[in-house]
Amino acid sequence: MSSHTRGIVVTVAVLVILFPFLYSLISGVLTGSSEIDGVFLERPDPKYQECVRETEYMRFHHMDLLKEIREEFVRYGNRGEIGFDSCRSCHTSRERFCNQCHNAVTLNLDCFGCHYYPEPTFETANLRKRGSR
Amino acid sequence: MNRRKFLKKGGMVLSGTVCADGLLLLTSCNPSETTKENRLSRHKWGMVIDLNKCKPECTACMEACRQENNVAFHGDKRWDIHWIRKVGIQERHSENAGEKMIPMLCNHCENPPCAQVCPVQATYKRDDGIVIVDHHRCIGCRYCMIACPYNARFFNYKDDPDWPNKSYPKRSHGVAESCHFCAHLLDQGKRPACVDTCEKIGVKAIYFGDLKDPNSEVSQLIADTPLKRIRADLGTEPKVYYKGL
Repeated sequence: MSSHTRGIVVTVAVLVILFPFLYSLISGVLTGSSEIDGVFLERPDPKYQECVRETEYMRFHHMDLLKEIREEFVRYGNRGEIGFDSCRSCHTSRERFCNQCHNAVTLNLDCFGCHYYPEPTFETANLRKRGSR
Repeated sequence: MNRRKFLKKGGMVLSGTVCADGLLLLTSCNPSETTKENRLSRHKWGMVIDLNKCKPECTACMEACRQENNVAFHGDKRWDIHWIRKVGIQERHSENAGEKMIPMLCNHCENPPCAQVCPVQATYKRDDGIVIVDHHRCIGCRYCMIACPYNARFFNYKDDPDWPNKSYPKRSHGVAESCHFCAHLLDQGKRPACVDTCEKIGVKAIYFGDLKDPNSEVSQLIADTPLKRIRADLGTEPKVYYKGL
């Protein structure tokens, strides 16, 4: 085998090995984001400017916050400002907010088997636009 | 340095580190740092039920409890849950023999057997004396149901589609549950649903109040009138008292 052929074989092998990484990199650059396909979070009402914590914190650690307030309320009886009730004032639909990410990562939660989080009626649901983030 | 000196010094250094670590561990286990100061310990809730006023056929407290706490009712006694229920007890060995219907609920024992047996500490006694279940933590092993001498605990065998009070959560299938003196209402400064209803229908057989406050209705009743507790001989120190039992 000549050194030329060997060079081609090595290049192809490297490309094949790196294909998944390159693919996600290129597709991310082309679409302008690295989001999971099919996640369309409902945009809250524009009159609400900010969440109870920073968006970045809420995105990754909202479950820690919920566990924290649960512990405080269930064990020590201190009902704070934050709860499902306050979430509901902005994020009216759990189908178009909570479940979007949870479904994308196949996470089955049973919060709402016991806690009431109503789906908005048809009229109010149509008023809100669907948008990515 | 010879071998003997080296070993001596090495041993000293080693024992020094071990002792220091031990000291650190001891100080970190100091209980005064781990106990949490909270406002619940100001109260100790208790209940007095006047059986002379309670009518045998009245079930208003049971209905109110169902409405307030979304207690499951399927119409089948295998699955029905009663946080408060009417129980017939028989007096056999005295002059006034006969059956009496008494409302039974969780007695919120001072030494709750259910909390002692709970393997995951889902059942626990709050600082205001209320024995409560953290349903998030409950694994549904039903030890508490066996431990409770009052049969006040029930298991959620089936989900009930009815949801009368939307502001209070339901319980999912597979957890144990019992009366919690409407702790969510007490936290808001209100009284339990059964007490309110009993007064509203004009019977007022259930008194509820703070046992720590000597001027409260309940404390005065306990001080003045002969009251009985169910199975007080067990040493569980229940906080539900009965008048005329």
